[in-house]
Amino acid sequence: MIDMKKLDRQLLKVEKPARYVGSELNSVVKNKEDVDIRFAFAFPDVYEVGMSHTGMQIIYGLLNSIDNVWCERVFTPWTDMEKIMRDNNIPLYGLESKDELMDFDFVGFTLQYEMSYSNILNMLDLANIPIRTKDRGNDMPLVIAGGPCAYNPEPLYDIIDLFTIGESEEMLPELMKIYKEEKAKGWNKKSFLEQAAKLDGIYVPEFYDVIYNEDGTIKERKVLNENAKETITKTIIKDLDKSYYPDKSILPYIDVVHDRVVLELFRGCTRGCRFCQAGMVYRPVREKTVNTLYNQAESLISSTGHDEISLTSLSSGDYSCLPDLAVKLLDKYEEQKVSLSLPSLRLDSMTFDIIERIQEVRKSGLTFAPEAGTQRMRDVINKNLTEEQILGPVETAFNLGWSTVKLYFMIGLPGETMEDVLGIKELAYKIKDKFFQRPKENIKGNLKVNVSASCFVPKPFTPFQWVKQDSIEEFFDKAKSLQREIKDNKISFSYHEPKLSYLESVFARGDRRLSNVLIKAWEKGCRFDGWYDMFDFNKWMETFEELNVDPNFYASREREIDEVLPWDFIDCGVTKEFLVREYKKAMEATTTPDCRQVCSNCGVNTKLIGGACPHVQNN
Amino acid sequence: MCKIISKYSKTGNLKYISHLDVLRFIQRAVKRANIRAKYSEGFNPHMKTAFGFPLSLGNESIGEYFELEVHEKIDICDFIKNMNSVLPKEMQILKAEYTEETESIMSRCAFVEYLINIEFDVLDIDELNEFFEEMLSTGVIYKRKKKNKKNKMVEKEINTRDYIKYLKAKNTSDNKACIEVVFLTTETGSMKTDEFMKLIEDKGFNITYFTMMKMESLDKNMKPIL
Repeated sequence: MIDMKKLDRQLLKVEKPARYVGSELNSVVKNKEDVDIRFAFAFPDVYEVGMSHTGMQIIYGLLNSIDNVWCERVFTPWTDMEKIMRDNNIPLYGLESKDELMDFDFVGFTLQYEMSYSNILNMLDLANIPIRTKDRGNDMPLVIAGGPCAYNPEPLYDIIDLFTIGESEEMLPELMKIYKEEKAKGWNKKSFLEQAAKLDGIYVPEFYDVIYNEDGTIKERKVLNENAKETITKTIIKDLDKSYYPDKSILPYIDVVHDRVVLELFRGCTRGCRFCQAGMVYRPVREKTVNTLYNQAESLISSTGHDEISLTSLSSGDYSCLPDLAVKLLDKYEEQKVSLSLPSLRLDSMTFDIIERIQEVRKSGLTFAPEAGTQRMRDVINKNLTEEQILGPVETAFNLGWSTVKLYFMIGLPGETMEDVLGIKELAYKIKDKFFQRPKENIKGNLKVNVSASCFVPKPFTPFQWVKQDSIEEFFDKAKSLQREIKDNKISFSYHEPKLSYLESVFARGDRRLSNVLIKAWEKGCRFDGWYDMFDFNKWMETFEELNVDPNFYASREREIDEVLPWDFIDCGVTKEFLVREYKKAMEATTTPDCRQVCSNCGVNTKLIGGACPHVQNN
Repeated sequence: MCKIISKYSKTGNLKYISHLDVLRFIQRAVKRANIRAKYSEGFNPHMKTAFGFPLSLGNESIGEYFELEVHEKIDICDFIKNMNSVLPKEMQILKAEYTEETESIMSRCAFVEYLINIEFDVLDIDELNEFFEEMLSTGVIYKRKKKNKKNKMVEKEINTRDYIKYLKAKNTSDNKACIEVVFLTTETGSMKTDEFMKLIEDKGFNITYFTMMKMESLDKNMKPIL
């Protein structure tokens, strides 16, 4: 255990000391003598962000449900705490036991966004764990990682010992079993990695070599170890309804980003938006039953006392039993004033009778994501949303008394023209007109339309994985044009930092050569890159230059369809043929219908589940 | 109206939890305990609770108070039992009863009593008590920096004599001692424990570690609020 008195004397000097002490309600403390495996679930961002992540609550509960495993949590210390830890030789520790990470068997990072990678290095370093795989001895913790960004693990290949690809609810317990067996045999890290590599969804980078062409593209990948698979197939939970879901969640003492009970209605999405990685890699759609969700809500509310239940998924309006579930929950919690929230609602699937009832408990704003301003552009990205389908629901919302709407857009989408960009403004103005073009007596409240634009980042395993990202200048040009054009005090406009999106794009589609860049940039002081006030773009650019790596090669280059991509060795269920087909259709601005209407043969049904997708009627 | 006043503890790691966080935490505990609380009306209903003076971050306490309005009279023993079963051991309801009191907890609280345990390598306890004597009689003056209404930093002079009612240190072992102190809480504020500790350290007393425990909140007759 770290020196607690030393920690205690320092903690009052930092902002929000509760980030670093643990002991929250429903956190799990086990007797370390009784367990075989110590697992540190590491979230490479601050406590408030990490604690809002449902995946963490699932994995934490799951691992702790195994008797001989004790899973603890660790987050990235904010810079004030980092300084204190370094100045006072306090190593990074698990929140539950206060034992330093070096004493653990596993340190497992979740990769939620590329801009958290530098924090991974910083956390390892704060724990005195060497950054590179090869510098970690047999007796050091295994450093593993999973989560959405693991679909392109290569930029971290030199840092992470083992990646889990896909949904790991079923695979992690298996991995723990192998670890225990290997430990009983007399511990040898390589032997463990070899055994693990035989499992589906496990990727051990050191068992592979990558050979490059002269132009920097990949020539081929070589398997170096006979236990390693040529292709890594993602793992999925076949029956989400029966898969592990925690019956209680850790209740943070301090205010976190999402402070509420989270119910996962279903995984996957049938809409097929072409920019969306989650929509591709989480296929197929698997719903939970109302009964399961209702029971989960009940136990989560009674174990936390939360006053809000969030019904989440990639597109919650698509849940087939949404009205049934919502009404049941609202009825049950009427007196206790537990409200419901429905993030990720599509405009065309809004069911206003439910939303109206939800608002009876607590009134909130409405958020819509048209993503693009013109019909052509929405067809390119396969949003499958017409202008009438946007304006209609907005008008209904105004009539029901809402006066604040938030609209999300992207700029820099493939094939976008300035006309498409300014279409964002046109749409915002039409929405404003809808508000005022009603009979005077109906106009209540003060209209506020908040338009925000993010810069498009092409992601692996999407039909746009081959496209060139807009340059930083193009992004600024588009964003500033909108800023100039939107001159209405009812409409506000904001945009996401293009430089950050550029770097995100480099790492999203990066290869092994970025490991060195990452390490060097961190050595120069880069961390918390996703935090705008901490992000130091110049340091990153300096690093690329010093290491002679061209970031434009990754961000601003259109790839040939037949190029070997760094993540091609991963099988996410969706075939490359499907992605190519969708890419070509995008270039022609042709749409593909929702999977629930007609199957587009993405490959998931034949490869991963071997039959019709659950909850999808194939016509 | 049914109103329950409770005295509760806040110890261990909970000393790092701010006042606002405690408020939310207790309200959630009320929900977990299935106690039918009253809510305010309006778009964003709030549970009807009222709290005493905020406890400074870093202080533990066994003398914190809150009031809760409930729908109907429930057995007070059940209330305590149900609350404590959903609260962590670091926060427990120590005492509770129905109250008709209309004056707020804050305005009823006139004094707070603290027990501060200190650790040191070398420290002359008589010297420390002499310094305490000075704090009580002539007073020790220090400056508190504070933002004013215009968000400007201003300094305010504070005399310990105006804010300390009782103060005494005694050795508990060779390198440990405890300080008993009673602070006044007035409308214009009170002295903070960290300010108090800083005065001691600035005077040259070398303290290696300390813990601060609020023992009780007292009314103007020096009686516990509950």
